[in-house]
Amino acid sequence: MATIDHTMPGTARPGPARQANYLNASHGLLSWLTTLDHKRIGVLYLVSTLTAFFLGGVFALLVRTELLTPTQTIMGPDTYNKMFTLHGAVMVFLFIIPSIPGAIGNFVLPIMLGAKDVAFPRLNLLSWYLYIIGALWAVASIIMGGVDTGWTFYTPYSTTTNTAVISMTFGVFILGFSSILTGVNFITTVHKLRPVEMDWFKMPLLLWALYSTAVIQILATPVLGVTMLLLIAERALGIGIFDPALGGDPILYQHFFWFYSHPAVYIMILPAMGVISEIIPVFSRKHIFGYRFIAYSSVAIAIFGFLVWAHHMFTSGMSPMATMIFSALTFSVAIPSAVKVFNWLATMYGGSIQLKTPMLWAVGFIFVFGIGGLTGLFLGALTTDVHLHDTYFIVAHFHYVMMGGSVFALIGGLFYWWPKMFGRMVEERWAQIGFWLSFVGFNVTFFSQFVLGSRGMPRRYFNYLPEFQGLHQLSTYGSYVLAIGLGLSAVALLHSLFAGRPAPDNPWGAASLEWSTSSPPPTDNFSSEPVAGDPYDYNELAWDRSVQGYVRKG
Amino acid sequence: MTAATPGGGIDRRATRESPAPPGSGPLALTLFLMALTMFFAASVVGFLLIRARQPEWPPAGSPPLPGGLWLATLVLLAGSAAVQAALGAIRRGSQRGLRLGLAAALALTVLFLGLQAANWSTLASEGLTPGANLFGFAFYMLTGLHAAHVVGGLVVLVLVTAKAFRGGYSAGYHPGVRSATVYTHFLTVVWFVMFGVVFLI
Repeated sequence: MATIDHTMPGTARPGPARQANYLNASHGLLSWLTTLDHKRIGVLYLVSTLTAFFLGGVFALLVRTELLTPTQTIMGPDTYNKMFTLHGAVMVFLFIIPSIPGAIGNFVLPIMLGAKDVAFPRLNLLSWYLYIIGALWAVASIIMGGVDTGWTFYTPYSTTTNTAVISMTFGVFILGFSSILTGVNFITTVHKLRPVEMDWFKMPLLLWALYSTAVIQILATPVLGVTMLLLIAERALGIGIFDPALGGDPILYQHFFWFYSHPAVYIMILPAMGVISEIIPVFSRKHIFGYRFIAYSSVAIAIFGFLVWAHHMFTSGMSPMATMIFSALTFSVAIPSAVKVFNWLATMYGGSIQLKTPMLWAVGFIFVFGIGGLTGLFLGALTTDVHLHDTYFIVAHFHYVMMGGSVFALIGGLFYWWPKMFGRMVEERWAQIGFWLSFVGFNVTFFSQFVLGSRGMPRRYFNYLPEFQGLHQLSTYGSYVLAIGLGLSAVALLHSLFAGRPAPDNPWGAASLEWSTSSPPPTDNFSSEPVAGDPYDYNELAWDRSVQGYVRKG
Repeated sequence: MTAATPGGGIDRRATRESPAPPGSGPLALTLFLMALTMFFAASVVGFLLIRARQPEWPPAGSPPLPGGLWLATLVLLAGSAAVQAALGAIRRGSQRGLRLGLAAALALTVLFLGLQAANWSTLASEGLTPGANLFGFAFYMLTGLHAAHVVGGLVVLVLVTAKAFRGGYSAGYHPGVRSATVYTHFLTVVWFVMFGVVFLI
């Protein structure tokens, strides 16, 4: 090698990456697999859920590619049914539900509280192992020939098809335990490890969001457990609980399923809203607007979320009175969601906005979540839902909320906390190009599906009328752009691990406690007892050129 | 509130290996029981909805539910009383009372599971298996889910009893005994609800 000394001026002194931290405290695979450190468990969750995201994404691209032509393109109809089922099941149960609480929540929650760890570190590790076991069962069903029921496992088809439904639903059953244990751990941690000076209304809003999420995880997930057990029992014993041919009631399954799975939608979006509530004020250099409203709206969404499940079933033949009540309740959920959006916008108003990558994803979130939320009103209204039910309109709607909402927030949060997690700054330029490609690709993919759906294209169809081909092709090309954008974002993140500038303690000028410790944090999180103040007061922070980060004044 | 550790680190938890702060265990147990309440509530509601659709309940020709269920109910109640007595004893500082109470609770729990197994085998021999019809399925589902949770409680009870016999609890420190007591009572209440639903409605 001709050049030996590549040392840059910034790395000549002992930078943060060279200090003892949770990453270099011990080495070897075993030290990770037996760790009790919430930060390492968060990283384990991050790696495993992103692997699931990649897997689900591959299924999605295969589905979109198949839909390039009105008839068979690259796979037969049976394979296609399995592809969209696996896409949905993997994305929902293996990726979105565990991702933000498991990865970002585990990493950030105790540090935000100034604590050393969660209340029950062993239980925390157990919940990751349960996630892995459940995920392996689900993946086993793919090897056993896949599942072709759609991710909702609707009966009676799911009890009569000869695909690997039992393996997949048993995996979902196990994943539920993981979710419940994480919820128990987070609520106990927030109650018992919160410092005395941090009352409920001085907590960062992400903690309110994770707390509300945990309530849903604890109260709704057991119902999914019973549902999956009944489904498995019906398949194994041939008993007609849900199959009308055997005297059962398929609508009962739908009630059970959505009693969990609608609240589960809020398990997916509430932590995302919490992430956005952290990013927006930091990059607007302005105190969060309407703290209490955002905090209470998380709780309100958690409560309302339990009362609206039957809006997935308006066309199933419920009584008109029941559909009207559920429709009205559905509209009421729009209120706390809108409260959050308006408070984020009011926070940005008059701020000095810095469009760094995390902020781009956060602003992108508000845009796509706005569309996702507003199109939900057409589906909540009985008259329009009858027309739009089971069309691409609903596919577009929930992708705007789940992908444009939850996933945008996850990626934004990842870029935001990445310097804290791994002690490296991400190259802004490539990350920003990654965002813009993802943003454009996402909207091309799914906005065209709104149009498809409102023109009558049913969801999940293998063949379609030639008149829909143009919009289907547009959607597919959009999904390729989206995949490139996400790939570029992943490259930007991974590149930083090897070539990124060492991160200062506080690169963004945030005031919550995780930014007052080193990047990455030491194993015990803080070298001295942190004092919690207002997590959104940025007046005491000033840019320091020498560390390329923010420091406390004076 | 907190004390600095020798290394200068903070001490809201001394180490990851040390127990969580006081009150964490009872709170976590409460949350866990809330989840279990939803689980059992969903299964009982499922039972009632399945039943409501059937023209005849139980279907004609079903064997009568064994009288052993009443005996099992008494045994379960006695188990609850025994573990409550154990908790009362350790609160007074009586190690002997604690061990006696826990040993009795352990024996009664095993007896309950044995009685349930006998009840199931009686029913199965009379033709009512889980796969026979919806009545059979619903009966085994409720009693089976309950029994599975009793088995889980038995594991805890064994650990707590073993620790009690090693002298691990005192009048001022007995979180395991308290948790075992609360969980045992919870399952007794669940059983009474199920019993009422299956027999009396």
